Amino acid sequence: MNAPDEDKRVDPWRFAGGFISRALGAQIPDEPTHEPIPWAPIAKSVPVAKVALLSTAGLSMRGDAPFDMEMERKNPMRGDPSWRRLPADASAADVAANHLHIKTDYIERDLNVALPLDRLREAVGAGEVGAIADTHYSIMGYQGNDPSTLLETSAPAIAAAMKNEEVDLALLAPV
Amino acid sequence: MGLVARVIEAAGIPTVTLNMIWVYQNLVGMPRLAAIEHPFGRPYGDVGDADTQAAVLRAALGVFERAREPGHVEHLPFTWHEDPADTDWHPAEPSPIIALVKRARAKREDGS
Repeated sequence: MNAPDEDKRVDPWRFAGGFISRALGAQIPDEPTHEPIPWAPIAKSVPVAKVALLSTAGLSMRGDAPFDMEMERKNPMRGDPSWRRLPADASAADVAANHLHIKTDYIERDLNVALPLDRLREAVGAGEVGAIADTHYSIMGYQGNDPSTLLETSAPAIAAAMKNEEVDLALLAPV
Repeated sequence: MGLVARVIEAAGIPTVTLNMIWVYQNLVGMPRLAAIEHPFGRPYGDVGDADTQAAVLRAALGVFERAREPGHVEHLPFTWHEDPADTDWHPAEPSPIIALVKRARAKREDGS
């Protein structure tokens, strides 16, 4: 691990390459255009909170239906908008990663690169985190020009499942 | 994903989004954003690099403690261990949208 750079300003395009930087950069406005940002105050601090993870890597348990990549091959404008549950003890051997925009081999060798369940469990053991949720979540991040199903169906269902398990904090990581 | 963070947050669960392309913030408006300069597909660290994975996890969770208002953006202090030229994150075959754009561009160039 390189020494931390406390003054770092992240270069969002460092790994993207020119083509993707230009294509994605063109979508991003210079000033905020979003609706007011929702805010849920922290009810429990991290050392006493139950934490759930969410990845956009298209992760599914082997034995569950995988994310449907044919859907996107037929319509390149949008990927599978569904969601999956992953139990806290899932490891790379149990999980399939279906995502057409990244090299998924790394995740299938070490799930912690995108869904660090082992690291979270260790943090609970060290007393840095209160508890690990029983269930964690994945979506497939590429929704192109139509995130409606993701936002109207999958995301509310994930939020409800988290509430049902009394999750205090959710850590999300796009890939 | 940032849009999903908004839905979960609106349901009452605080979120942090660990994000490489943090400049999407202007478009999306994520409640709490931890910017990370890692290659696509490995936001927490490389295969087998438990130290970095744990440190990124700890830093991202720390954002919950430090953020005071919606739209908080924090740049995490991590530097990937490979140069971009040596970092292989692309899928074996181009994604359908990239293939489509490249085909359209090639067709345009043929026709011009």
